[in-house]
Amino acid sequence: MAPPPAHPQRSPSPSQPSGKSEVTDLRSQLRQLAGSRAPGADDAKRDLFKKVISNMTIGIDVSSLFGEMVMCSATSDIVLKKMCYLYVGNYAKVNPDLALLTINFLQRDCKDDDPMIRGLALRSLCSLRVANLVEYLVGPLGSGLKDNNSYVRTVAVIGVVKLYHISASTCLDADFPATLKHLMLNDPDTQVVANCLSALQEIWTLESTSSEEAAKERETLVSKPVIYYLLNRIKEFSEWAQCLVLELVAKYIPSDNSEIFDIMNLLEDRLQHANGAVVLATSKVFLHLTLSMADVHQQVYERIKAPLLTQVSAGSPEQSYAVLSHLHLLVMRAPYIFSSDYKHFYCQYNEPSYVKKLKLEMLTAVANESNTYDIVTELCEYAANVDIPIARESIRAVGKIALQQYDVNAIVDRLLQFLEMEKDYVTCEALVLVKDLLRKYPQWSQDCIAVVGNISSKNVQEPKAKAALIWMLGEYSQDMPDAPYVLESLVENWDEEHSAEVRLHLLTAVMKCFFKRAPETQKALGAGLAAGLADFHQDVHDRALFYYRLLQYKVSVAESVVNPPKQAVSVFADSQSSEIKDRIFDEFNSLSVIYQKPSYMFTDKEHRGTFEFSDELANLTINAEAGDSAVPAQRVEANDNDLLLSITEKEEGRDAASNGSAYSAPSYDGASATSAASQSLADLAFSSTSGSGQAPASSFAIDDLLGLDFSVGAAATPTPPPLSLNPKAVLDPGTFQQKWRQLPLSLSEDFSLSPQGVAALATSNALLRHMQSHSIHCIASGGQSPNFKFFFFAQKAESASIYLVELLINSSSAKSQIKIKADDQSTSQAFSTLFQSALSKFGTA
Amino acid sequence: MLQCIFLLSDSGEVMLEKQLTGHRVDRSICGWFWDQSISQGDSFKQLPVIASPTHYLFQVFREGITFLACTQVEMPPLMAIEFLCRVADVLNDYLGGLNEDLIKDNFIIVYELLDEMIDNGFPLTTELNILQEMIAPPNIVSKVLSVVTGTSSNVSDTLPGATSSCVPWRTADTKYAQNEVYVDLVEEMDATINRDGALMKCEVYGEVQVNSHITGLPDLTLSFTNPSILDQVRFHPCVRFRPWESHQILSFVPPDGQFKLMSYRVRKLKSTPIYVKPQLTSDGGTCRLNVMVGSRNDHGKTIDSVTVQFQLPSCILSADLTSNHGTVNILADKTCTWNIGRIPKDKAPSMSGTMVLETGLERLHVFPTFRVGFKMMGVALSGLQIDKLDLKTVPYRFYKGFRAVTRAGEFEVRS
Repeated sequence: MAPPPAHPQRSPSPSQPSGKSEVTDLRSQLRQLAGSRAPGADDAKRDLFKKVISNMTIGIDVSSLFGEMVMCSATSDIVLKKMCYLYVGNYAKVNPDLALLTINFLQRDCKDDDPMIRGLALRSLCSLRVANLVEYLVGPLGSGLKDNNSYVRTVAVIGVVKLYHISASTCLDADFPATLKHLMLNDPDTQVVANCLSALQEIWTLESTSSEEAAKERETLVSKPVIYYLLNRIKEFSEWAQCLVLELVAKYIPSDNSEIFDIMNLLEDRLQHANGAVVLATSKVFLHLTLSMADVHQQVYERIKAPLLTQVSAGSPEQSYAVLSHLHLLVMRAPYIFSSDYKHFYCQYNEPSYVKKLKLEMLTAVANESNTYDIVTELCEYAANVDIPIARESIRAVGKIALQQYDVNAIVDRLLQFLEMEKDYVTCEALVLVKDLLRKYPQWSQDCIAVVGNISSKNVQEPKAKAALIWMLGEYSQDMPDAPYVLESLVENWDEEHSAEVRLHLLTAVMKCFFKRAPETQKALGAGLAAGLADFHQDVHDRALFYYRLLQYKVSVAESVVNPPKQAVSVFADSQSSEIKDRIFDEFNSLSVIYQKPSYMFTDKEHRGTFEFSDELANLTINAEAGDSAVPAQRVEANDNDLLLSITEKEEGRDAASNGSAYSAPSYDGASATSAASQSLADLAFSSTSGSGQAPASSFAIDDLLGLDFSVGAAATPTPPPLSLNPKAVLDPGTFQQKWRQLPLSLSEDFSLSPQGVAALATSNALLRHMQSHSIHCIASGGQSPNFKFFFFAQKAESASIYLVELLINSSSAKSQIKIKADDQSTSQAFSTLFQSALSKFGTA
Repeated sequence: MLQCIFLLSDSGEVMLEKQLTGHRVDRSICGWFWDQSISQGDSFKQLPVIASPTHYLFQVFREGITFLACTQVEMPPLMAIEFLCRVADVLNDYLGGLNEDLIKDNFIIVYELLDEMIDNGFPLTTELNILQEMIAPPNIVSKVLSVVTGTSSNVSDTLPGATSSCVPWRTADTKYAQNEVYVDLVEEMDATINRDGALMKCEVYGEVQVNSHITGLPDLTLSFTNPSILDQVRFHPCVRFRPWESHQILSFVPPDGQFKLMSYRVRKLKSTPIYVKPQLTSDGGTCRLNVMVGSRNDHGKTIDSVTVQFQLPSCILSADLTSNHGTVNILADKTCTWNIGRIPKDKAPSMSGTMVLETGLERLHVFPTFRVGFKMMGVALSGLQIDKLDLKTVPYRFYKGFRAVTRAGEFEVRS
C-alpha cells in the first residue's frame, strides 16, 4: 500500500464532496450562537454540533471551525460537552495553537462535581496529544489518580499512558509509574487495577529498552506476589481485564508443582466462562504451566477440549474461526485427543466457507483407523456440494487421509467413484489425487488404471489434472491399451496446450511410452520432439532437445535416465517442520496461530525487537542519511513501507525515533523479547569465540583471500592497494552503533550476486560463517526472504581502523547493495573490493 | 490492543471512525480493505483476520455492516473478534436493530458507547446493563419524555452505581413494587440427516434466559431435575462455580432486567419431532422431486412455522414445484422455499414436481441440502426440566414464571 499521507485531515479523498460552502455556513451559524444565552440555544447548538461531527465522520475536513467550536463549548449540557470533546480530540493535533484555548474549559471540567464530567474531561484532555500542552496535563492527572470516584481513576490511569506517548520524560518525571504501581496493588476497584496493569506493562516495556530499572520493574509484574494478588481477585475483574491478567499469568514461571496445581485449580472455572477470549487465555495458561509435566499436559488437553469445542459451536462464525485455528494447532500436537469428537467438525450447510475449510483440515487431522470410514463418508457428501471450492477441498481432504495410510482400500473405491461423477472439477481433483496415491501405493495401479483409462482427455481441462492424467498415461502405458493413441492425439493438439507444465509432462510421457511400446509410439514421439524443439518455452525446448540427444546417443541410456525403476514414495514432504509448530505453540492465543506461521515469519525483524539494537540501527540509517542526501533516505523509507508493520506516521517516527520504533508488536511481549535477546547474545558469543579459536584457519583464509584479491582487482580496477584484515577483530554492539552514527557514509555500491550465492543464502548463518572466514564479522542480521539485511565489521590488520558495512540482499532479484563506513576513508574502496570478492565466492566453496 | 475501529456500510463507505490511541490509523486502510474484498471475492470478504501491508485487520460482518478493527501489535485474535461481536450486539440492542440508516441517525450514541467500551485500545466494559445506565438508549420512551419534560439529554446525570458496587453487573439500590422473575428455556435443535434417512447428528443448543425485577440484592438458586444431560455449559459471570461443581445448582445474584444466565448443549438425542423425506430421481434430462414432511407426534404439542428451504443446483434450468399444503416460492437466486406453517393433523404435507436439467446433462450429480425450520412452544426438546427457583437473603414474595420454546437451528436433510 502507498504510504498514508502525512496529514490525512487536510486532504479529504476526492470522491467525497469538499463541503466548502457547508463549512462556511456552519461557521457563521456557530458564531451567532457563540455568546447566546437565550433559552433553546443549547438545542440549536446541539443540532449544529451534530452537523459538524457528521461532516467529520464522513471525512470532510471541518478543522477550520476549531475556533468557533471552542467558543461554543462553554456549556453545562453534557451531550454538547461530549460532542465538543470528540471534535477537539480529533483536530487538536493539527491545531496545536488553538488547542490551547480548550485547555481552560477542560481543566475547569476536571474539577466538576459530577464524576462523569470529571472523567470525560480528563479523558479528552489526555486525548489532545499536543506536545507543548503536556504541562497542563500533570496536575489534573495527579488529582485524577487520587479521585475518590473509581470512574475518574480508571480514566486517569489510561491518561498516564497517553501522556507517556506524548512525552515520556514528563510522565516519568512526575513519577506516575510508581503511583500506578501503588494503585495496582491497593485500589479497591478492579477496573482501576486492570488499567494500571495494562498501563504499566506498556510503559515499562517501552522504557526497558533504554533503562535497566524499567526492565527490572517489568520483571516484578510477573513475580509471585503480584501474580498471586491478581489471581486472588480474578473473579472481580471484568472479562477483558481477566484476559489481560491471564496473559500475564501465562508468562509466570511457578517455583514448584504444587504452585502449578494451585493456579490451575483456581482458574479451572474460567474455562466455563461465556467469553471465548477468557477461555482461550485460560487454556494458554494451563498448557504453558504444564509443559514440563508430560502426563499432566495430556490431562490438560482432555480438560480444555470440551470448553473449546463449545466455543466452536456456540459463537458467531468469526469466533469459531479463531477457535478452530487453535484447535488445529492442538490437534497437530496431539492428534488423538479429538479422534472421538470428529463429528464436531462436520460442516453445516450455511457456514461461511472459511469455517468449512478449517473444519475440513480438522477432519483430515483427526482421522485414524477407527474413524476414517465415517469421516470419508462425510467428506464424500461434500463432494456433491453446491459450493464448488468446498467440494474441491473435501476431495483433497479425502486424498490426504488416503495418504495417511488408514483403510486405503475403502478410500480408493471412493476416489474412483469421484472419477465417474462426470463433474469436471470433481474429476480433475480426483485425478491429481489418484496420481499421488499411485506414487505411494503402486499396488493399486490395476484398479485405478482401469478407471482412469475410461476418462476422455478432452473432458479434463485444468493443467494440474491434465498433467496428472498424462503422467499416468506414460507411467502405466503398458496397462492401458490406447495410451499411445491418446498421447498421439494430445501431441497433435500441441499448439492448443497453453500450460508449459502439461507440455513437459507430455514429452516425458511420450518418452516413457516409447520405451515400452516403441512401434506404436514412434510417430507420436517424433511429432512430440519436433513440436517441443519448436516450442517457445525455454524449459520445454530444452527438455525436448535433451531427450532428442539422449535418444541419438543410445536408447538404453535414455531409458535408464527417463524411466528408471522407481521406489514408492513413503512420506511426502511435510509442509511445516516440527520446530515451526513448536514456535507457533509458544505463541498460543496470538495471531501466529491464525496465520499458521510463527511471528518471525510475518513480522519484520525491525518490529520484532529480537535484537533491539538492529531495530535502532534501522532508524540510524534514516537519520544519518537524511543529513547526507535526500535520495537514499527516501529509498530507505520506501523500503520501510514494504514492511508489514511499518510505522504509519513517518514524521513522528523521526522526531521520536525510539518511541515510534519501539511501538512494535513484539516488544510488548516480554517473554519473546528476553528470549530473543538471550539468543542474540548466544550468537554473539559464538562469533567471538570462533573468531579467536580458529585463528590458524583464519590466517590461512587470509592468504587465500589475498590471492583472490589480486586476481579480482586486476580484472576490475587497475591496482588496488593490498589490504589485509585482522582475523581477530572484536567490536561490541554498543561501539558499533556509536560508530555507525558518527561516521559519514564513505561508499555505497550496488552489484549482483552469483546464483550459487543466492542459493546458499537459504542456509541460515552460512553467509556469516563464510564472511568470517574472510575476517569480516557479522554483528547483526535479519530480514526474511527475499530481503535480507546484514551488518558486518572488519578491522585493518595492525591498525585500529575499523570498517562498518551494511549489506542488503534481495534474493529474488539477486541484487545486493553495500554501504561502507570507515575510520580510514582512503582505504574504503579497497575494502569494498575485498568485501565484494569475498561475497562473490560465497556459495561456490 | 486495538488502534482504531471503523464501521463500514455495505458499499464500503466509512460510516464511523474511532481512533483509540495516539498512533492514528489513516482512513486509506479502509480503501485497501475494500479493494481487497472486492478483488478477492466472497471468501476473502468474510475472513475474520487479515494482514494488510501496514496493519492487522479484524473484521466482523453483521447485517451488511462491517466492523473493522486495526492494530499493529500482537494481541489475542479471539479477544479482538469477541470484542467486535460484543460491540455489534450492544449496538443492536441500543438501536433496536443494525443497519446503515440506524447507525447514521445515531452516530453520536455510537461514539459515546465506543468511548465507554474501549479506551486506549483496551476493552473496558461491554455489559449492557452498565452501559445503559451511563448512556440511555434512544428509544421512543425517552424521546417522548424529552418532549414532555424538556430535558433532552440521553446521558444520565449520575454515574452507574455498578461501577462502585461489589457486584459489577448490578446496582445496589434497585426498587420494584412488584417482584418477579421470568425464566425462559430457549432451545435450538441442530440435526443432520443423511441421504439414507439416518440421523447423523442431533443435538440441542439451549439458553436459559432470565428476566428479573427484584428489589435489593437478591440471591437466587435455580436447579434442574435432570442436570446430568447437560453437556458443555457456559455461564454468565454472575453464576458461582462451586455450587454447580458439587450439586449442579445455579446460585447467582442476577443483573437487573433481561440477561442470558447460561447456555448449554445436549448431545446424542435419539429423534427429531419432525421428519422430512426428499426423493430425487433423474433421468433423460429431467429430474423428479418429491418431499414429504410429517410430525412424529411424541410430545403432543403442535409444530408451528414449518419451512423447508433449499438451493436448486445451478445445472437446473427450470423447476415446476407444487404442494398439497402451504406455498412454494422460487427466488431468482434459485432458492426454493416451501412455507408449510402448522402441520395439519389429517394429512401429511408433500411437495412434488419436475425440474429440467441443462442440455447435455442426463442425470443430476449435485444434490441440494434441505434446511428445515420449525417452532414448538411449551416444550424443551432436550428434555431439560427446571426443578425449582428459590430466593435467598431477601424475604420477599415474588412471582415466578417459566416458559420453554424450541426452534430449529441447523436442521439439515441431505438428499
